[in-house]
Order: sequence, then structure tokens, then C-alpha cells
Amino acid sequence: MAPTRRPSKSKYTADRGVPGAFEGETVTRRRFMTGTAHGAGALATMGFALPALAFAIGPIFNNDTLGWQTIGTPDMFPDDNYIPAVIVIAPGIGEAGNSTVYIRARNASIDTTPPTQFNRWIAISTRCAHLGCPVRWVPASERFICPCHGGVYDLQGVRVGGPPPRPLDRFFTRLHDGYVQVGARYSVNSELRAFSPRDPGEPLDGIGQYLYPSRPSVRI
Amino acid sequence: MPKLPAVPIPPRFLPQPPPPGTQRGRPRTPLEKGAEAGKSAVDWIDERTSLSGGVRWALFRKVPKGTNWFYTLGSATMIAFLNQAVTGVFLAMYYRPDAGGGAYESVRYITNDVFLGQFVRGMHKWGSSVMVILVFLHMGRTFFFGAYKYPRELNWVIGVVLLILTMTMSFTGYLLPFDQRSYWATIVGVNINGTGPLLGPYLSDFLRGGPEFSATTLSRFYSIHMLLVPGAIAAMIGAHLYLVAKLGTTAPPWLRAKPEPELVEEQL
Amino acid sequence: MNQREKEEYLREYSILKSQGKPFFPYAVAKDGLMGCLVIAIIIALSIVLGAELGPKANAATTTYTPRPEWYFFFLFELLRVIKPPNFVGLATIGVPTLAMILLFLLPFYDRGPERHPLRRPVATLTGIFVICAMAYLTYLGANAGPPTENDIPAPAAVLAQGKPAVSEFYLGRSVVAQSGCEACHLIGSNGNNGPGPELTKIGDRIPPQAIARTLVNPTEPMPSYGGSGGLPAKQFSAVVAFLSDLK
Repeated sequence: MAPTRRPSKSKYTADRGVPGAFEGETVTRRRFMTGTAHGAGALATMGFALPALAFAIGPIFNNDTLGWQTIGTPDMFPDDNYIPAVIVIAPGIGEAGNSTVYIRARNASIDTTPPTQFNRWIAISTRCAHLGCPVRWVPASERFICPCHGGVYDLQGVRVGGPPPRPLDRFFTRLHDGYVQVGARYSVNSELRAFSPRDPGEPLDGIGQYLYPSRPSVRI
Repeated sequence: MPKLPAVPIPPRFLPQPPPPGTQRGRPRTPLEKGAEAGKSAVDWIDERTSLSGGVRWALFRKVPKGTNWFYTLGSATMIAFLNQAVTGVFLAMYYRPDAGGGAYESVRYITNDVFLGQFVRGMHKWGSSVMVILVFLHMGRTFFFGAYKYPRELNWVIGVVLLILTMTMSFTGYLLPFDQRSYWATIVGVNINGTGPLLGPYLSDFLRGGPEFSATTLSRFYSIHMLLVPGAIAAMIGAHLYLVAKLGTTAPPWLRAKPEPELVEEQL
Repeated sequence: MNQREKEEYLREYSILKSQGKPFFPYAVAKDGLMGCLVIAIIIALSIVLGAELGPKANAATTTYTPRPEWYFFFLFELLRVIKPPNFVGLATIGVPTLAMILLFLLPFYDRGPERHPLRRPVATLTGIFVICAMAYLTYLGANAGPPTENDIPAPAAVLAQGKPAVSEFYLGRSVVAQSGCEACHLIGSNGNNGPGPELTKIGDRIPPQAIARTLVNPTEPMPSYGGSGGLPAKQFSAVVAFLSDLK
């Protein structure tokens, strides 16, 4: 017995036996009106929701770099101890937009990263790489200590204890007209390889750099 | 001279019989007139809204036997929320969401200079703690009494949403005084959001309104704390209460029903 | 819960409900009294404890110790006790998200008809365990002192030795707090438990000479506090005295 195929439905409403169908009509009036009601409602909602949403998430794609900030002269910074300096990371809001960086001169016997014109001074961010609490440099034990969840870092800013998933962030530095200047922040993995700045708590080793992608707002 | 018959007066202009309970012939006292006016105002509204049925349905439903003080925790949470809403509105009359120093100054002004300022701010601050405790107690009661089971599953889900919204309120409200504690708690909180894989970094950019804590961050938190979440909480409380009235509050789980004796089938 | 159990419950509930009292005014009166109590507590807290305002936000600080509001202490402590860096995401996102999902779906995986807490031992014990765990974490979080301070009082044995011993104890304590020892050692309620051993009772275990030796020639990764680059002699002996007094 040959397989019986259901006859394909006609696209004309008249052929399908819809009551009151017009000749050549493919969409019933009821269906058309239902679609119009849904469509018009969705369109009107999108009309205000989409611009508002885009307006709110706009800053994610905005990249405002702050440029270089002068923090002192080269003779201020020894190569075996850190000197704090305050820089601006968010302009216009006073003290709440500042941040402290710890700076020392590059020391060839400790710093193994290849020397460039941007790391003649090592500038370490005071934001803990765990969740962003303010770390403090303690010269006696040569450790950066975080007061929140127990993060401890050595002279290089590499984790020696506690939960931080990567070393402390660093800043580019340069010599300009005889002054030391601090530039953009960058993050490093446990081998001190530089990455675009990440937020605290985001590991950069192994799969971490792909799980926590860099953001267009601070990509360098 | 024959008298002309009196003109017939339409019935509605005839003197009305006095309402039951009043003495015939005595003019109504002002108190009775006032009560009358109140009744007619309620009637006027009810004629146009038909609300009385709903009010009667919500108020005069029965609560099961054995309802005890544990069952007041939900309404206590709502009282705490109302306290937060009212004190919050009045705090907003003095508060300025300006990260450049205005926010801290305005809170300092509320605390030190405004009449009853520290008291109202204290009520808002401690009200949040009390509300969080009550939310957890209410949830604990629901959990241990098994009150989340059929047919009240949806109300449990709405309750968990309310718990999350309450925690969001306390997190966003935390930043507003803009002191050290506020600032660092926000930094840590936003970074906690940022540790979610793939989307986390963008979420924290969204919360901050940029890659670093900036002037926009405070405005964002203010808007979320003042407008977005309170509206959502009010709507969710409405849904929660509707379901409570519809499904009824549970009886304590140790209570067994004894059917009315006349309804028990005789054993033959 | 199958259909029969659902209907049984509804029948049982309708009987209990019909035997109850109207919501207004009986339940509302209780609710109202409870509301009065809640507001009275809030007013009392506001009057007694007030609303403190800390120092203005300063993002450049390196001395401030951030602490959350008390009802987030359990989360804060969770972040402290989960130490391995690879598990940071677990503490920040993993555990809270899992807890929220379990909470949301509770009525959908716990579908048994039983409601009495004593006849649902798993649910009741889990609930009690979660409450105890949160209370314990809150307690730990509330007592977590910053690793840059120390508030251990001088023990009676030191007080008995007179003023010089007491002042040396306190000098040693402040040097220990400022030298970053508590970054790796727990001393009393201050400091981090690890990577170094806890020092709260170190005087019981090691004699002063051994403490001094360890401070000069420590095992990696602890840095040396003695010799030419280390602490001055007075501070060094105060640290040794302080640590050996911890019993």
C-alpha cells in the first residue's frame, strides 16, 4: 500500500473552509488583527525600551583614557622600597576619584621582565587583586597586605598568601621632561606578562584570560 | 367655597420616613449628619469602583484555626518596608546624589543640622537591618512549617524574589551616605559581580557606568535604590498578598482537622 | 504530591479554615500589635544607636579597613575562608548563585505531602544547619580584626612582672601589628590564618631563643626580621618578648 500523504493545506482560506472567506484571501481578518495588536504593542514598547537600555549600557563601550600624570622626579624613587603617590583615576569627584600607587625604580636583579621605556619605574596599584580593597605596603616584612580577605603579596606584587587570583595590577611609567609620569593601568598574570586591565577577582592564568575578556572601556 | 384639591406631589418630594433607629420628628444631630455624609461618600466611591466586594473578600476571609504569632512576621516585614519607604522619601528631600562631595555634605547636613535629621536617618538605617531580619524570620517560618508546598509554590518563588530585591536595596543604599564604609563596600560588591565568567566584567562596567568608580556610579545606585527596586518590591508585595488572600494562610502543621460531627458519615 | 494527596490537603485545609476566625479583626489585631513592636524597636535603635557617618570616601587610602554591614558578614567571611585563588569565583558567584537557585526551586524538588517539621528530618536538619552555618560565619566575620592592628591585652603573668614588662609587651604588639606579621599569622582575632602557623599560643610551644632564631633565619617564604636590614634591636627584643608572652 502506498504511503498516504496528508494533502498539504491550501494557503487560501476559502479552500480551507474558513467561514466567510473571501476569494484569494490567505490571512483571516481575525489573525491579521491579532498580529497587528501584538506587533503594534511590541513596536511601541521597543520604541522606548531599546533606547533607554542602550542609554544605560552606553558607558560599557566608551573609552576615555586619562593620559599621563606627573608624580615626581627620578631621584625620589629607590629601587628596593616603594614610595606612595596619589593619582587621579576618575576625574571630577575629588578624593573619591583618586588612587594610590606604590612606585620604585626598576631593579635588574629582581625584575626579570624585559626593560622597555615604560617600565623604568615599577608602579603597583593599591587595589587588591582579590576584590579591590586598599592594600598597604609594609616595608619591615616587604609585603603588600590587604585588610579585607587576607591577600598578601611580595615585593613584586605577586601573591604569597590568601585568595587573590593574580598579582597586583601595575601602571605604565615613563620619563618625560625630567619627570616620572604614570600612565594607564594594566594587569599581569603570575608570570608578570601584561594584559589589558581587568577588574579584581578575575584570574589571567590559563583559561582565565578568556573567561574574563578585556572590556572595550579600558582596552589598551 | 369648595376647596381645590391639592396638587399631587411627586413621591420623591414627599417627606422621607426617617432612617431606622432615629426618632421621628427629631432633627438629626450633627454627628448623625457626619456619619451619613461618610456613608454616602463611601457609597459614591463604591458605586463607581465596586471595590467593596474585594475589600470584604480580603478582610473577612477566615484564617485557619491555630494561627499564632509566627504568622505576623510577614505583615511585620511589610510594616518595616513602609517605614523604609516613608523615611526614604523624606530623606530624599535633603539628599543630593553628587559624588564630588555633595552627597557626603548633604548626609552630614541631615545628620547634624536638620530637625530630627539623625532620628529619621537612624530609622531608615536601622529599619533596613530590622527588615532584613524579619525577611529571614518570615522565610524560616515558611520553611519549617512546610508552607511553601502545594498550592503555595508560586508564592514562595515571589518571596525569594522579594528577598533578593531586599538585599539589592541594602547593597545600593549602602553607597548613598558616601563615607569610607560606603565607598569600599561598593567597590567590593561591584567586583564580586565582576567575577562572574564572561558576562561579569561587562556587568560591573554597567553597574559603575564605566571602567572605574565615577560620578555616574552614585547616580546609578541612587536611581536603582530610589526608583527601580522599590517599584519592583511594591509590585511583588502586591502579588504576594493577593496570593496569600487567594490561597489562605497555612494552618500550623501539627494541627489535624476534626470534621464537624454532623458531617461525619455514620458507620453502619 | 499526587492528585489524591493534593485533594486531601485541600479538604483538610478547608475544614481548618472554616473552623477559624475572620482575618479582620482577629489576625489584623495581632499584626497591628506586631507592627507596633517592630516600629518601637526601630525607633529605639535609632534613638540609642543613632546614625553614624564615617569619614568621607577617600579612594586613595591605604590604611582603611573595609567592613560590610553586619548582615553581609557571612558572605564576607565566606570570601575569607575560601583561600585557594582558583576558587575565588566559587566564593563570590558560585556558592551564592547555587544557594539562590536551590532556594528558588525548593517547592519543586521538595514535593512530599508532609508538612510537619519533625516528620521532614532532612529538610529541617538542612534548614537548621544552614542557619547555624550563617550564624557562625557572621560571628567569625564580625570578629575578624584587620591584619594591621592587634588588641590582645597583656596576660596576667606579664602584668604581675610590673611596668617595664607590660610596656615591652605593648611595644612588641604594635611592632608585630605594623610589621605585617599578621598578613600570614593569626594572632588572637587579628590577622590571617595562613600561610604561616597561628601564633596565638606560640609562647607555649617555642622558647624565646627559638622565636628569636626563627625571626632571624626563617623558612621560606617568611622574610628575615633580624640582622642589618631587619628591625632595630629594641623592637626586635620587644617582638620576641611579646610572642613568648602569648600563652
